[in-house]
Amino acid sequence: MSRTRRVAITGIGVLSPLGNTPEEAFENAAAGRSAIRRLEEPWAQRLSSPLAACVKFEGEAHFEPPRLRMLDRVSQFAVVAARQAMRDARAEDARIDTDRVGVFLGTGMGAARTTDDGYRVFYGGGERVNPFAVLRGMNNAAAAWVGAEFKISGPNLTYSTACSSAAVAIGEAWMRIRSGELDMAIAGGAEAPLTYGALKAWEALHTLAREDPADVSASCKPFAGNRCGMVLAEGAALFVLEDWDRAMARGARSHAELTGYGLATDLAHITRPSVAGQVAAMRAALRSAGMAPESIDHINAHGTGTQANDGVETAAIKEVFGERAYRIPVSATKSMHGHLLGATGALELALALFTLERGVLLPTMHLQVPAPECDLDYVANRARHGVTVRCVMSNSFAFGGTNAVLIVRRK
Amino acid sequence: MTTLERLAKILEERYHAAPDRITLDAPIESLGLDSLGMTELLFFIEEEFEITLPYEPVSMHTVGDAVRYIDEVLAGHPASAAQPSQHVPLHASPERSA
Repeated sequence: MSRTRRVAITGIGVLSPLGNTPEEAFENAAAGRSAIRRLEEPWAQRLSSPLAACVKFEGEAHFEPPRLRMLDRVSQFAVVAARQAMRDARAEDARIDTDRVGVFLGTGMGAARTTDDGYRVFYGGGERVNPFAVLRGMNNAAAAWVGAEFKISGPNLTYSTACSSAAVAIGEAWMRIRSGELDMAIAGGAEAPLTYGALKAWEALHTLAREDPADVSASCKPFAGNRCGMVLAEGAALFVLEDWDRAMARGARSHAELTGYGLATDLAHITRPSVAGQVAAMRAALRSAGMAPESIDHINAHGTGTQANDGVETAAIKEVFGERAYRIPVSATKSMHGHLLGATGALELALALFTLERGVLLPTMHLQVPAPECDLDYVANRARHGVTVRCVMSNSFAFGGTNAVLIVRRK
Repeated sequence: MTTLERLAKILEERYHAAPDRITLDAPIESLGLDSLGMTELLFFIEEEFEITLPYEPVSMHTVGDAVRYIDEVLAGHPASAAQPSQHVPLHASPERSA
């Protein structure tokens, strides 16, 4: 066993507000289509900011009823995205010892719908509780169902580091394959937080965007002078990661090589991002990849559209890349798919893989009004085609301070 | 509708059990319900028959056991339904140890 191995990404699965396949999500993003909408549910009228980006998804199309009744929406997303990824990787041909395969899943809010439903019953004075409330609601349910689906007997781990959960899950899987501990992993994130309780809680924190009166879908404006917050979203993106040599030996197609993962924690404040923490995470990722900053051609930013994040992230990119920062295109795709919280890093990595494969830089939409503190090239409002991109950095920063950065390289 | 017919309706609609296999002597597990499914079945029985089942474990191996148990609860004598049994006791399955 070599000391460190290369890690191939051989499968991608996506359920997202921009589409329910990786290709569809990428094509909609490349066309600058935003999935952000006003929620139509009756309870949404009680919200000050009734915006979200939803996945068009009916569990009945994917699961038999007895199984479906055991699955919160977040687990449904995870399993369906994992099926896509395993199909894409043609993993059934892999003939890998299932003890050497793991599941690494990130989720910030877990089974929000089950929790919300439970609270409604408990605090409404009701006594009849769904017998699967615990089963559906436990934080590791989504990962467990993914493991059960594919009979994976290696580690089954759930990471919850708020908005960096998926990036952490992918990075931790990468480390185990790289070290030789595992040969394959299903890794990524899933999130289904669009409940009244969750939206109300986020609203109370004053981080959610107000509705753009001219165009609801333009309400999230990362890096813009008139940015006013993020928009909550749901979905899942999962990947099949494999030891490179084994993947090539079995004739698998590699979308890209996952080359780096960096982690660092903001110490100063539970929610306020710090330049130092973001810089440390980006540098750690570069170090783990054995790459100089000059190797990075493109950054998929965390780019939430909040006042706090976007200025700090811009400053952090400048500190890491120096003068060259102004020549690195930076995309904030949350302007279109919203913030998938614990799944967001995975969806953004999936989009970044298509940027690598197809040479298309995705736009940061709704960036009409410049902000003095945000002065990089954000690929404003229109995709760029025919660009040679060899290496992409994908940033995920989180409440709680866990900053995670992934680097992928074209195969 | 008889108790059996109402129970059969639950088993058909919720678990897609084949109607011709729902007989009084059919083991419930043979209809595709594992220990979790049995727990959920109690929930649906409560709903269908508008009853509250005792919390204590009961043994319902066959469809006939379930019909007898429901009838006894409906008649107000649930205790006699809870027989010691080698079968999986509901509410206390070892498969559900946390």
